[in-house]
Amino acid sequence: MLGFLSARQTGLEDPLRLRRAASTRRVLGLELNKDRDVERVHGGGINTLDIEPVEGRYMLSGGSDGVIVLYDLENSSRQPYYTCKAVCSVDRYHPDVHKYSVETVQWYPHDTGMFTSSSFDKTLKVWDTNTLQTADVFNFEETVYSHHMSPVSTKHCLVAVGTRGPKVQLCDLKSGSCSHILQGHRQEILAVSWSPRYDYILATASADSRVKLWDVRRASGCLITLDQHNGEKSQAVESANTAHNGKVNGLCFTSDGLHLLTVGTDNRMRLWNSSNGENTLVNYGKVCNNSKKGLKFTVSSGCSSEFVFVPYGSTIAVYTVYSGEQITMLKGHYKSVDCCVFQSNLQELYSGSRDCNILAWVPSLYEPVPDDDETTKSQLNPAFEDAWSSSDEG
Amino acid sequence: MSFSQEVDPNVAPGAPPHRPRVPGRACSWRDPIRCRRGARPGGGGAGICVGTTPSSTGLRDDKLTPLSSSRLGTYGEGGSPGLLGGTPGEAVRHCSAPEDPIFRLSSLYPYLFPGIIKSRDMSRKRHRLVPETTGLKRRRKEGPVESDPLRGELGSARAAVSELMQLFPRGLFEDALPPIALRSQVYSLVPDRTVADRQLKELQEQGEIRIVQLGFDLDAHGIIFTEDYRTRVLKACDGRPYAGAVQKFLASVLPACGDLSFQQEQMTQTFGFRDSEITHLVNAGVLTVRDAGSWWLAVPGAGRFIKYFVKGRQAVLGMVRKAKYRELLLSELLGRRAPAVVRLGLTYHVHDLIGAQLVDCISTTSGTLLRLPET
Repeated sequence: MLGFLSARQTGLEDPLRLRRAASTRRVLGLELNKDRDVERVHGGGINTLDIEPVEGRYMLSGGSDGVIVLYDLENSSRQPYYTCKAVCSVDRYHPDVHKYSVETVQWYPHDTGMFTSSSFDKTLKVWDTNTLQTADVFNFEETVYSHHMSPVSTKHCLVAVGTRGPKVQLCDLKSGSCSHILQGHRQEILAVSWSPRYDYILATASADSRVKLWDVRRASGCLITLDQHNGEKSQAVESANTAHNGKVNGLCFTSDGLHLLTVGTDNRMRLWNSSNGENTLVNYGKVCNNSKKGLKFTVSSGCSSEFVFVPYGSTIAVYTVYSGEQITMLKGHYKSVDCCVFQSNLQELYSGSRDCNILAWVPSLYEPVPDDDETTKSQLNPAFEDAWSSSDEG
Repeated sequence: MSFSQEVDPNVAPGAPPHRPRVPGRACSWRDPIRCRRGARPGGGGAGICVGTTPSSTGLRDDKLTPLSSSRLGTYGEGGSPGLLGGTPGEAVRHCSAPEDPIFRLSSLYPYLFPGIIKSRDMSRKRHRLVPETTGLKRRRKEGPVESDPLRGELGSARAAVSELMQLFPRGLFEDALPPIALRSQVYSLVPDRTVADRQLKELQEQGEIRIVQLGFDLDAHGIIFTEDYRTRVLKACDGRPYAGAVQKFLASVLPACGDLSFQQEQMTQTFGFRDSEITHLVNAGVLTVRDAGSWWLAVPGAGRFIKYFVKGRQAVLGMVRKAKYRELLLSELLGRRAPAVVRLGLTYHVHDLIGAQLVDCISTTSGTLLRLPET
């Protein structure tokens, strides 16, 4: 590390390299820290987490009790011990609360004034954060499994919604109604994700084992159906291509949008080249996946070699993305983990599970020194300690 | 002087890793006592003298002189009598020793200080994980270790495939089937799966091996040498009505297309097969239906192999499951008599189980242990 600093100072190395090396080192040191935890508000399992992309300070969580909670992750106290408090929440007494379990929440990508949430009660609600009122509600015929809004797009405000029906619906926030339907899947859509690189590219994953890449401007169907065997590409073949040998549960683009990761109930995770749909054949081994709904996993960003954090039963498995090696399993939850998010500014991981807890995994680079009872006192050099006392004897 | 003599035995062979302290946390002289658990009396004493902050913080210099006298007080209290274990006398002597040896000792602090007894291996593992530059230090993965009975193979997938072909019992099928190895078996011999996949893909592209979908599990791929496949298929279809179609298939399609599956358009347009010929191929067992208009490549007569394989796999898994604590030493498993259901050989199945991650491979001091995963 000192070598990096001096190389950066003398101009021998790019500053970005130091930042990447430090981020990677911190991610490798992720572990549960007794000094940090997240206030427990949910009464049911936590299905989804999202950290706002602007500052990385506020986190939304949606639970299977229909409650949505907003946490402040920033440590503004001087103490090392810090609990992330809930700033506000849409609880069961709120008039607009979702009736059933909330499956996905997402911040509005450009600021924290708004967020969207979708739930099993067949609605997608758009909330105003400051007043905690619903600004808009979209109703669907089927239960909503997942929704996503493009993180980079400035040209459109479409929210892609995946429901139990085989059609992907695109809802326009500006006009307040559903503007597009993408047809092509045969069963329920378990995950949708916009590309972080291009405004109009959308990936959808369905229970019929297929993952399709769409350009939403194109009228005539999907661009590519991903094929795990990398067979011949021809139009008629599309129907036989499968991305996994079971339901495809989760989708995640890497932070540069060049690759796409998918997980399926065949206990495999696959890495795809998102421009031509080719299976890169990186083998992560068995990635246990028993989830009947979507699995929300996440990729780190800003490290020299990216890591993917996948919920694996009641642990979180960490793999390097491009080489497939398993780095570690983060153990800490009591029941199965449903979702995890990565805070890329501080290299912290937050995970929510069915045991109603959100755990914070914080990089620990130094061995913690055993607690000293006189920590507060010994901060100060005795020479500077205030010896003044108000008693008459003093 | 006695002081320096006491120093020497404490220079432990192999210095413990330097533990960077959280700066700002000044040590109190009571720290070392607590940490001294289990250390030798002399060593403990020397450790106490040195203190726990690295010289870089500079706090130690302030602390030494004013507090050394107060330490006598703490010793008088009998801070941790159990730990000191009868050496208060020596410790006191260290306190009253002149300043020089203490400063000299400080430079040896990383070697003397026994360290906090708290999960040393975790810290060692973590230091191993921290990358030097941008290269990552890999932690030893709990995968198949170099255990004698199974692992002679390091590196190439090709060598692994050849070795696995030796394990295949040809006599069982009267030589009508080409020797088949499974992809999961290759994983158990080649440690890095991605590398194994890439090498197999290269071999497939060069035309040396064919990968075939074995029907029972969409994930199980069989690997066959192309030459073996060709000879066996020709022998099997000898004199039958579909021989012509099969020969045409082997001559034109096999070298051209290395995929696992074939589509309608491909067969009719590119290779000029008629529907009747495709039906012949399906009857011959060379193609199996996958979907409307697409077929998997198949091995004729592989049905028996698949039946033995599935039964054998279940039987070997059952052997591990019935063991106490659902775990078995690899050497013990290989030494047991195979149940009659296992026709393909215990080693064959064990390779497959390890590679398919149906059992967890744990390295122990008595060899590799196979344990059923909890999930």
